[in-house]
Amino acid sequence: MALDIKRFIQRFIEEASDHLPRLREGIEALEQGDTHQERINELFRAAHTLKGSSRMLKLTPITAIAHSTEELLSALRDGTQTASPDVTCLLNQATDALSDRVNQLAQGASPAELAEADHQLCQAMENAAVGKLSTSSPPVTVVPHNDTAKNDKTENDDAGIVSPYAALPTTKSATLPAQELRLTDTVRVRLDRLDDVIRLMGEVLSGHHHLHSLVEQARSLSTSLPKDQQAPFNAFSRELKDSVLSHDGLMSDLHDRALQMRMLPLSVVFDPLSQMARDLAHSLDKQVHCRVHGSEIELDRQMIDRLSDPLIHLLRNALDHGLETPDERQAAGKPIRGQLSLEAWQDGSWVVIEMRDDGTGISLEAVRRKALSKQLLSEEQLLALTEQETLELIFLPGFSTKPLITDFSGRGVGMDVVKRTVIDELNGDLRLSSHSGKGTCFTLRLPLSLAMMRVLLINVGAVTLGVTAPYVSELVEHASTNFIDAAGQKTLILRNEFVPVVSLAELLDLPYTPTESGNLLLLVVHQRHQKLALIIDALVDERDMVIKPLPTHLRHLPLVSGMVTLGRSTLVSLLHVPTLLEHSRRYAPKVLTKTDQPPQAHRILVVDDSLNTREIEKDVLEAWGYQVTLAENGRDGLNKALADSFDAVLTDVEMPVMDGFALTASLRENEIYRYKPIIIITSREKEADRRRGIEVGADAYIVKGSFDQNNLVDTLKALLG
Amino acid sequence: MQILVVDDDPLACEMTATLLEFQGYTTVMANDAMEATQQLDSLDTIGLIVSDMHMPLINGIEFLKMLREQGVTLPFILLTGDSPDSTLMQTPGLNACLQKDAELESTLGNAVTQALNG
Repeated sequence: MALDIKRFIQRFIEEASDHLPRLREGIEALEQGDTHQERINELFRAAHTLKGSSRMLKLTPITAIAHSTEELLSALRDGTQTASPDVTCLLNQATDALSDRVNQLAQGASPAELAEADHQLCQAMENAAVGKLSTSSPPVTVVPHNDTAKNDKTENDDAGIVSPYAALPTTKSATLPAQELRLTDTVRVRLDRLDDVIRLMGEVLSGHHHLHSLVEQARSLSTSLPKDQQAPFNAFSRELKDSVLSHDGLMSDLHDRALQMRMLPLSVVFDPLSQMARDLAHSLDKQVHCRVHGSEIELDRQMIDRLSDPLIHLLRNALDHGLETPDERQAAGKPIRGQLSLEAWQDGSWVVIEMRDDGTGISLEAVRRKALSKQLLSEEQLLALTEQETLELIFLPGFSTKPLITDFSGRGVGMDVVKRTVIDELNGDLRLSSHSGKGTCFTLRLPLSLAMMRVLLINVGAVTLGVTAPYVSELVEHASTNFIDAAGQKTLILRNEFVPVVSLAELLDLPYTPTESGNLLLLVVHQRHQKLALIIDALVDERDMVIKPLPTHLRHLPLVSGMVTLGRSTLVSLLHVPTLLEHSRRYAPKVLTKTDQPPQAHRILVVDDSLNTREIEKDVLEAWGYQVTLAENGRDGLNKALADSFDAVLTDVEMPVMDGFALTASLRENEIYRYKPIIIITSREKEADRRRGIEVGADAYIVKGSFDQNNLVDTLKALLG
Repeated sequence: MQILVVDDDPLACEMTATLLEFQGYTTVMANDAMEATQQLDSLDTIGLIVSDMHMPLINGIEFLKMLREQGVTLPFILLTGDSPDSTLMQTPGLNACLQKDAELESTLGNAVTQALNG
């Protein structure tokens, strides 16, 4: 009986899974210009090792691709070829092709069932190795996963025929055997146990905190004892305290480590995604090169589990809506192969994940048309939006820019669901940027773990509430006389920004007796660009706490995102800041007296990079009957001013891209705005700044610190005549 | 008698050792030439060396030369992931030069028998 060396295949898969990311990393480094000999040697050795062991295992297609890759790398090593973009592109394709086949093996394909090596690709590499680079783009390599991946679009409703993607992402698990996040069974068992341990640890940790209050109680009890009994009692309470403190450190250490054991690398999500990108692009007759970076970064498994659906949706969106067909790309003067990059990096206690494509970008015009046709907004409301705000309309429920319902779109899951998942479930943030013709980028910001977060405990009236730290911007004290009144809304000027002030008790309808005297304590919370200052009574504590999910029957409560335990048995609700912000917008009293409404509404352009300030200035001006359009920086303001005719411009100074001075100067050079009123409104109080404002041509200079809406309106009225 | 298998790729190293063990030999493994030298120093039961060609720092041929210079005359079989070229095969002191492939089981078996009996 011959020896069955095939039993080494699992080992080969593991080894290859080790080499492939290193190959990718090395090629990436080559692309960045790092062509050190040792770097190339490493790449060569990885390819060589894959070739050697695959040959022994008779994994012929892998041997063939690894061999050609090795040839090309050997030419790089000998210096007869350089790491030009064409060469690295070939190497990337080879790595993709190798990954595809290793994945097939991992999914249980036998060596004989492996997709054949792409001979054109191998030939192209070997030609490149001897200096014959073909000028045309090399062919795309797509490996059908198994029988379920025959791309027969007409039959996609039959479960499992096409389209692993057709029913994504809602019923992914049913139809997507190939793309599922597969954790091996042994790991799964261990993780289950870990979950239990972590849950128990959380309970123990919460309970332990109660000991602190007992220590405190013991200390105060001693004072009520007769003098002669105090000494031994004090010794006892000191020992108790020491012991509690020493356990503090140990316990949080233990909890940290337990949490770390549940961390998984992002590659668990990223690897299937890059595979999916290639397959999906192929089904759409598009070409894509998917670049992945940072897949070694680790996140809690709870996050990883819930991250795949939103990422799959964004990926589908990028390939279906974003990326053009090869013909369209050629016509636009772009390389026919689109670039999709999936990158992750750590930023403090956050992980940032970015998905970027170099496709057509989101057309603002199409978004506006769609919003109008779907009656999501009125024409006037649309006019008031900045470009960024217009772009973000795609996150509204029921929004889709694609007129055509394809296999890949129109399945009822929209960007709104993605946004909700990221913000509500993952406690993260989702941003979008897009440039027409150049591409789109989605940025997700996520906490490392959902299990434990820094929580601020606050008191409002008799109630204790919690807010997770990522939503907290700062805690400040201000006298109520410092607030300004902006269109009936109490407002705090915080550096260069207007921040609405709301009493948390009033917002939540809690019993509350307002204190008149002294300073008010304000908890400034934020979500993305929006800020809100909440009047609270006291900060109780700030510490890392275990977040408990709400029981099912309470999940419909929008204002509460979870619970934490305080002491031995007190539960504290965690406020859901996004909902709170939404609530405050609805709650904000709008004073629309319009006593002095001008007969013909003047049109005002408000330019400020702070969303809060823009909104508040808009409210003030609208309360006085003006029609307001918003812009988020000088450039945006200039574009809007030139595209339309405004009666006056109100601008901040410090803004990205183009500041208020430059905007004012540019406007003055334009015929239409040579004599139109321009008012600078800024927190810069220096005389030099004021002079500069007047020099560049502003008619008035208002300092935010002394902002008075009557002053602003009077100034406007005077200037408009 | 033991066979020393030298390969920087742990998987290939184990596979080679498995092939040899299946044919009744006992093996010791080393992941590079330095480790192999240590094994040779500490074990006097090694009767044959099977080494990979491409290894970082010291490759298979250099390892062979080093051994021969030190007077080690043990039979030496070279394995390579590439198709072996004639100059390599004619290296003095080399008993055989084989390609690492699916046929290694029989080719290596024959080469070992020949080296030990020849």
